This record gives sequence, C-alpha cells and structure tokens, in this order.
Amino acid sequence: MRRPASAPARRGASPKAGTTRPALVLTVPSETSFLGLVREVTRKMAETAGFDLGTADQLALAVDEAATNVIEHAYRGAPDREVEIRLEDRGPEFKVEVVDSGNTVDPRAVPDVDLGRYVKERRTGGLGMHLMEKIMDSVTFRRSAGRNVCRLVKRKAAVARGR
Amino acid sequence: MSELTVDKRDVEDVTLLYPKGFINAHTVRLFEGEIREALQQGRYKIVVNCSGLSYIASAGLGALMGAIEEIRGGGGDLRLASLNDTVRNIFEILGFNHLYQIYPSEMDAILSFARDGGTGT
Repeated sequence: MRRPASAPARRGASPKAGTTRPALVLTVPSETSFLGLVREVTRKMAETAGFDLGTADQLALAVDEAATNVIEHAYRGAPDREVEIRLEDRGPEFKVEVVDSGNTVDPRAVPDVDLGRYVKERRTGGLGMHLMEKIMDSVTFRRSAGRNVCRLVKRKAAVARGR
Repeated sequence: MSELTVDKRDVEDVTLLYPKGFINAHTVRLFEGEIREALQQGRYKIVVNCSGLSYIASAGLGALMGAIEEIRGGGGDLRLASLNDTVRNIFEILGFNHLYQIYPSEMDAILSFARDGGTGT
C-alpha cells in the first residue's frame, strides 16, 4: 500500500490536526483470491470515513464487484496483471477508483437487469454492474494514460438523508 | 480460517446447505458445486441456511439464479433462512426477496415445504 500522489499531503499545505483525510492505494494481483482483502480494506476505509457499518459493507461490495469485473472482463481471467484500488475520503464524499491496464469493456453493453428474464434465460451477467449502480451515487468509466478507470463515488449527505 | 465452507445435511426430502464465510467470484464454485450435487441426486427441495454467511456478491446471486429454473422445474424450490442484515440488504437491493422465499429460521423454511408441497413461487 502506498499513499497516492494527490492526497493527502499536498505540496505547500501544512496538515493540521483534523483536516487531513485518509487516502490509500492498494495494488493486488488480478486473482480472485485477493477480493477478500480488497473488500476488507474498503470496508475499513469507509468506516473510517464515517459511514455506518451497513453502508460500509455495501461500499465494500461495490468495490469487490468492480475489481471482479476487471479480473473477469478486462483481464479475462489472467492472474498475472495488476488491479489498483485508490480509496479516498474527500470530506463530503468517498471516492474509489479501480484501475486496470486490460481490455476496455464498454459498460453500456451491459443490459438492464430484468430478474424474471434473467431466470428464464439462465443469465447471470450484469448483476455486478447493477449492484454497483444501486449502491453508489455515481459509477463512471474513462480511459486515462492508457488505463481503464472505474470511478465509484458515494456522497455522505445522501446516506445521512437515508438514501 | 477458510474463506468458504459449505456443510450439507438432509432432513427427509429437504437438503440443507450451510455456507460459512463469504461467496464471491473466488468462492462461488464451491457453493455452486454443492447445489449441483444435490440436483444430481434428484433433491430439488433446498434450504440455504445463511446464518454463517457474512456476505454474498453477484457471483453468488448468479449461482442461485442459474439453478432456480431447474429446481422449480423439478418440482422443488430453493429457499433461504437466517439472513444477516448485510446479506438481506443485498437481496433487497437486487429484488431477490421477490424471487426467493426467505424465512427467519431454518425450521420455518423446512416446514414451509411440508405446508405447500415444495413447489416454488
């Protein structure tokens, strides 16, 4: 684990007690055996950011799903690649970026989930994406410096309002 | 401690599964295999006791969905019991609580098969 370059010790800023928020980068091999670690770290960070246990569990699940998508789709199961998880408490919101250097997967290609149809057709794909969108306030995808970045954001105010 | 174990026992014509740990993309094959084994033995009345399940990701939900048509087609059902708040919450987010019958206890789930003959919703 290492601290991302952008936070929290910014150049020229002298951290004061209570103003520095935690951020970290976790890099794991593209193996599903590391999903448990990703989940635990995310949950702990979410709790530290002030989310209740139930919400922290949900956030951990969303990040587990994003990392699973990377392993299964971007890397197509290859176990020798890297998945980078950037977690950051940004005060009003909790941001997680899941970064990979695999194939770009078009998230719009994932159809809406219709449970009845899924059961009839024995389909199971797309559930993870659906879960991520239900749990997070925003899920976006972009290419940056030749890598895929899935950004997940949860606003603290939305939780406080009971969303 | 292993990430997932799945104990199994039969109570008359109902097969009980006890997943302990978590079900995600890493552990789902084991869970899927236990369901598959029950079906191969012609046992279509299944109760998953979730009291030891800390969480379930979409891979696990997919395993449940992938088997339910065959189970109901065989005259049985897959029912869930003793969900903790985390697991219940995930089921509700996806609407799985409308797809599966969920009971507060294992005994309630077993008795539900006796009450209705075991056919799914």
